Amino acid sequence: MEFIPVYIIFIPIIASMIVYLFNNKYISYLALVSQILITIIFIPYFNFLKEHGIHELYIGGWNKAIGIALKNDMLSLAFICLSIIIWWLILIYFWDRRKVDYKFLFFFLFLEGVFLGLLQTNDLFNFFVFVEATTIISAILIIYKKDGYSIRAGFYYLLFNSVGMIFYLIGLILVYIVVGTLNMDVISNTIILIKDTNIVKMAYIFMIVAMGVKAAFFPVYNWLPKAHGAAPASISALLSGLLVKSGLYGFIRIGQIFQFNYFNEFFFLIGFFTAFSGVLFAISQKDIKQILAFHTISQIGIVLMGLSSMSGNLYYGGLLHLFNHAFFKSLLFLGAGLIINEYKVRRVTEIRGVFKNFPFMSIYMIVGILSITGAPLFNGFVSKSIIEYELKNSFIKVIMLNIVNLGTIISFVKFSQIFFGNSDVKINKHINRTFSIFLLALMCIIIGNFYNPIASHLLNIDLPYVCHLDIIKWVKYIVNLAIGYVIYKKVIDRDYCLIKKIRHTKISFQTSNLMLLFFIFTMIIWSSILV
Amino acid sequence: MNIDILLSFFVVLISLFGLVVSRNIIKSIICFNMLQASAVLLFLNFVHSKEAVIPILSSIDSNKNIVDPLPQALMITAIVIGAAITALALMFSIKIFHYYGTLDWDELIKREG
Repeated sequence: MEFIPVYIIFIPIIASMIVYLFNNKYISYLALVSQILITIIFIPYFNFLKEHGIHELYIGGWNKAIGIALKNDMLSLAFICLSIIIWWLILIYFWDRRKVDYKFLFFFLFLEGVFLGLLQTNDLFNFFVFVEATTIISAILIIYKKDGYSIRAGFYYLLFNSVGMIFYLIGLILVYIVVGTLNMDVISNTIILIKDTNIVKMAYIFMIVAMGVKAAFFPVYNWLPKAHGAAPASISALLSGLLVKSGLYGFIRIGQIFQFNYFNEFFFLIGFFTAFSGVLFAISQKDIKQILAFHTISQIGIVLMGLSSMSGNLYYGGLLHLFNHAFFKSLLFLGAGLIINEYKVRRVTEIRGVFKNFPFMSIYMIVGILSITGAPLFNGFVSKSIIEYELKNSFIKVIMLNIVNLGTIISFVKFSQIFFGNSDVKINKHINRTFSIFLLALMCIIIGNFYNPIASHLLNIDLPYVCHLDIIKWVKYIVNLAIGYVIYKKVIDRDYCLIKKIRHTKISFQTSNLMLLFFIFTMIIWSSILV
Repeated sequence: MNIDILLSFFVVLISLFGLVVSRNIIKSIICFNMLQASAVLLFLNFVHSKEAVIPILSSIDSNKNIVDPLPQALMITAIVIGAAITALALMFSIKIFHYYGTLDWDELIKREG
């Protein structure tokens, strides 16, 4: 029981290496074996941790401040649970009995080990190493198709994220000079005394900016739509469902260490701008994957609006939305990948008649669309109504949230046009792919209806005010849907030149770096004004 | 403040300037490398001390200070990661040149169509 954190890091890594070295048809099944092993090991560990609350492991038995430490609490437990589920579903999605590319399987499994390490580490430098390893491996997975566009997107992703992580390194250096250790627990205990010095503030700002680059916050999200649009469908789902969350996970952890309360409003504003600009770009896009990629940005904005409070029910609402987003966005990306695979086009205006060709898959995708737009009975509704309920004291904030939600509905009205009409495309059956999409849809419905036991088990909160039969919520959703449909027909569908201009806005690498510096300076100015 | 630390801050600023203005992909990679190296330099300058001795257990003299070994261990890891990223980025830039025939960021945006 004690060394299980180490096992669940190294089982996928070792399995990936064996798959790469031996490279034949039967050894590929080792991927399934390693997944089954992790799941079997993880279930008793889950119960163990629910009893104890916190589990710490010091490798080699060294002192806490010196040695390599792994620590699991309820937050990382929930993340590990989520990542094992998502990895299972994506493995089912791309599994093919005849041939699975061993290189792809190698990077896929290696990424799982590294990502599980990232979630469990209790050491700032090891966190840096794990984040860089995920960046490198996911860059290789993004360029997997090896065409010009995907190589460019992967290059942009790799270089920009690495530049961001250098700032994390500088922040880490400043922390080490002040505190003299890299263990997160020790730092959070000692840093309270010297919290208001400039050097600690600078360290916090640098580290948070780096996490902002990983999690695609407002001025520095430019890498995300390129990377998510260019990657293969299964990798887009993985990136959007989990790897973006590594930045948010780091955001939560660093926020817990430093506890600077005066940045809460700032991150709420950043969250709103992220959500709003993501929706604005998503409305104007025509490429089916680009729409979904920009929606990842807007949903991250909503999550950040919740997480910015760092405590209380608003924080848990953001956290729950993070998990819900992992399910419905993976679902939509996998479904879009299946459609692109059969239709061979990516423009949303050219794909028609999906419902006739894939009746079951369309129903599951509609479940995903209802979830992301926040319809009652589905999981997006639960977390969005928590956030909305907690913001009820401030009228402006509720309006902000509703603007974002309306934008989401407009662009998914546009997206849902693919289901109507006829088409004469020949369709192959993909049982395993449809099955994996079905499981994701099932998860959306389960979380949407049994949110009370899930929330009280994983997060220890009660949700008495979330009610599916609230007539006001139904009326509000239907009115929003009607307004969204009207705006789509009257404005978006006519493709005015302003929309075209937004669609063709391209931000170069230099401008992205300038925005990164701008982000840092904004945070410095905010911190110096308020203290 | 020590002059070495100021110089390494200066290198950080130069490389950030390079990242903001350089149009060429290779120059961007070079600037990224400089940024990485200057972060390493910054850390080593912060913990550097002239009187201290190397931290080997058998040779420790109790009258002298010992160098903190952790920064060096951390920075060698950071250098290795930087080397891996540079290698991958250079490979990508070769592929980009094969597909597009240019290594200019602005030109690449134009050719996207």
